[in-house]
Amino acid sequence: MDEGLIIQTADLKKSFGKFDAVKEITVEVPAGSIYGFVGPNGAGKTTTMRMLTTLTRPTKGQAWVNGYSVTEEPRAVRRSIGYMPDEFGVYDDMRVWEYLDFFAACYDIPEGERKRLINDLLELVDLSHRRDDMVDKLSRGMKQRLSLARTLAHDPAVLILDEPASGLDPRARVEIRELLVTLKDMGKTIFFSSHILADVAEICTHIGIIEAGEMVAQGSMDEMQSQMMPHREIVITVRNPEAAEKVKTLLQDVNGVLDIKDLEPQAGRSRIQINFTGDDEGVEAISQKLSEGGIAVLGFTEETKDLEAMFMRVTKGIVT
Amino acid sequence: MQDLTRISLVDSPEEALTPREHRLDFIANILNRGAIINGILAIIVILAAALGAFGVLGDTFTTLQNVSLFRSTVAPDTASLMIILTMLLNTSLLLVLMTGVLAREGWAFIGIWLLVIGNVAALVTQGFTPGIITILIGLWAGIIAGRDVRAFRMNPVMLKELRGRMRGVRAFAVLTIYLGLMSGVTVLLFLIFTALNRSEGSAAAGEIGRVLFMGIVGIELLLIIFIAPAFTAGAITGERERQTYDLLRTTLLASPPFVIGKLESALSYTLLLLLAAIPLQSIAFLFGGVTEVELLLAFIILTVTAIALGTVGIYFSAIAPRTLSASVRAYTVALVVTFGIPLVLSFILNIFTGALFGTGTGITRSPVLEGLLVYLGLFLVSINPIATALASQQLLIDQQVTGFWTTTLSSNGDTIPMVSPWISFTIIYLAVSTVLIVLAIRRMRKVEA
Ligand SMILES: Nc1ncnc2c1ncn2[C@@H]1O[C@H](COP(=O)(O)OP(=O)(O)OP(=O)(O)O)[C@@H](O)[C@H]1O
Ligand SMILES: [Mg+2]
Repeated sequence: MDEGLIIQTADLKKSFGKFDAVKEITVEVPAGSIYGFVGPNGAGKTTTMRMLTTLTRPTKGQAWVNGYSVTEEPRAVRRSIGYMPDEFGVYDDMRVWEYLDFFAACYDIPEGERKRLINDLLELVDLSHRRDDMVDKLSRGMKQRLSLARTLAHDPAVLILDEPASGLDPRARVEIRELLVTLKDMGKTIFFSSHILADVAEICTHIGIIEAGEMVAQGSMDEMQSQMMPHREIVITVRNPEAAEKVKTLLQDVNGVLDIKDLEPQAGRSRIQINFTGDDEGVEAISQKLSEGGIAVLGFTEETKDLEAMFMRVTKGIVT
Repeated sequence: MQDLTRISLVDSPEEALTPREHRLDFIANILNRGAIINGILAIIVILAAALGAFGVLGDTFTTLQNVSLFRSTVAPDTASLMIILTMLLNTSLLLVLMTGVLAREGWAFIGIWLLVIGNVAALVTQGFTPGIITILIGLWAGIIAGRDVRAFRMNPVMLKELRGRMRGVRAFAVLTIYLGLMSGVTVLLFLIFTALNRSEGSAAAGEIGRVLFMGIVGIELLLIIFIAPAFTAGAITGERERQTYDLLRTTLLASPPFVIGKLESALSYTLLLLLAAIPLQSIAFLFGGVTEVELLLAFIILTVTAIALGTVGIYFSAIAPRTLSASVRAYTVALVVTFGIPLVLSFILNIFTGALFGTGTGITRSPVLEGLLVYLGLFLVSINPIATALASQQLLIDQQVTGFWTTTLSSNGDTIPMVSPWISFTIIYLAVSTVLIVLAIRRMRKVEA
């Protein structure tokens, strides 16, 4: 086991009958990170989380949370985690404070400490004003925040949140996101799932992409960016095909240029796409070479690949 | 037997426990051992008594009395029956206390000490020497438990359920309607009875009292049959359906407190209904003919029935996929046990009532066979609350018996010792309830494969 990893799995596998929902994946979540676990519907996110939270027994492989094995020391794991399932479990006949009080009692927190704890938690998730309201009267965003407060009752080291932002309006989404950042600052590790990479990208320090039960890519944000976009794409626009040919011959043997291809002309102008692995100095070298060659360049753009594009590229849409 | 009754505090007993968990687990283990020792001893004594009765082993009854109940003045055979039943009662109570300790219930802690006191009393006044086992077990468990009394706490599940159930007007509306109905029935019974008797010219006040009393207890029994399984059949399936089950499974709440908490909340409401009707039952006192003893026996039988049917509900809730099927199964069992058994076996009941009224059974010449049949009849009565209530009441009225008595065999005129069915009923129902709870907890523990 690696010291710095608070969640770690080794060949974790889960089959339902003949169908492998999760195929021997390795998840590595460093302590103190916000880890976004992204994948399309049916990828196996919930199944993985249920194994990590001791709710389902792995078919094969092993997982450790906070250093404890999920199959051998489930209670120690439960003590270490706060879990929020994708479905919000409502007790329709409970007040907000009673809901938290009940779960605090389930975590064996003495009665004398609970009142203060509940007030602190409600303060944190900004629900103090709804303390005495019935749980089922809350809006979805509020329920989600209450749920989050519940996961914090026993001050766990890791929060495992299954799609905490799904079904929320943009404002509620932002609120949840801010809350997650606050919790990270409090020293908690947050492992959460989502379909939407953009949601994850803004706050995550690490991401893992799962598809059809397999981990497609995983690492810190920076690593992911470079791992998945090993080359830049530069598009050069010139006036006519002849100029384009000249550009091609000029750049052919520049260091770092992988390949050059023609793009569809746009508004009568020729465009060339260059796949390039160099750094910023390399890009400077290219533009310098062009001006030395006396080519009038109409446009010189570097395509910025956003995360969504990266997501679409790695996940091939093999949704089961 | 150990395998059937033993459960640990946590789902994964091989896992390292906190000192408190370890202590509770240890206490439960002690109590479990005590129950098993008592049970095995009871079986040995039964065998010895049976051999004595068949004349194989000489006078085992007197030996048993001299060894195990030497202060008592009853006949040796009755003494033997007392020894057996007290051992079985100890077994049942130790099992109940075991689940209570695992659920961290305050009543379990108090119960351990009460059991010790009860056995000391039996030892001192009756010379019940086997009680020493239970005394030692209880002292051991009680002293260890006393080191950490804070481990026993208010059950969070019960608190949560009761908060929900008692909220708003619903609970009190139900209570009001229930009391209204009960009063209505009481008045109706009274009117019918006086009308019928006026025509004959003699209305014995005592008889009115008895009819009213039986009417009320009958309605309460019906109520329990319909309420107790309904309250608990959704205990586990309901949490699954509301998707709160997973939330609970990931907390540190162990399965025993969960199951016991659900049972307690259902029972406390049922008990509230029973207690609320006691003033009504007391009206029967005004007419005479009903004693406090009857009131007490009725209350015990109703409570034990409620506990047993509640655990039946919990058990099916643990094994059924949905609340609906859990309810259907629980009701089926409740109806079969309360109404089906007496119907099917009414002819055997006749044997028992024959014995009861001293008319003999007259179906066999063999005293051994007749004795066995009488005990079988007693057993069958004891697994049914209605038969138990009626038979216990009949015994109380005809022979002023609440405990042990004797009946005469028609085949050879010998007397054999008997017990008022409410005692055997309580022992059997409590033991079955504990086993069902243990099974439900085991089932809950199964991690999704
Ligand atoms: N209990 C089960 N029995 C059989 N198949 C299951 C079970 N649970 C999940 N699956 C299957 O496993 C696959 C992965 O499901 P999972 O719920 O883990 O996906 P997910 O990534 O959480 O998807 P979503 O984004 O829709 O929540 C799905 O194809 C699902 O049908
Ligand atoms: Mg999911």
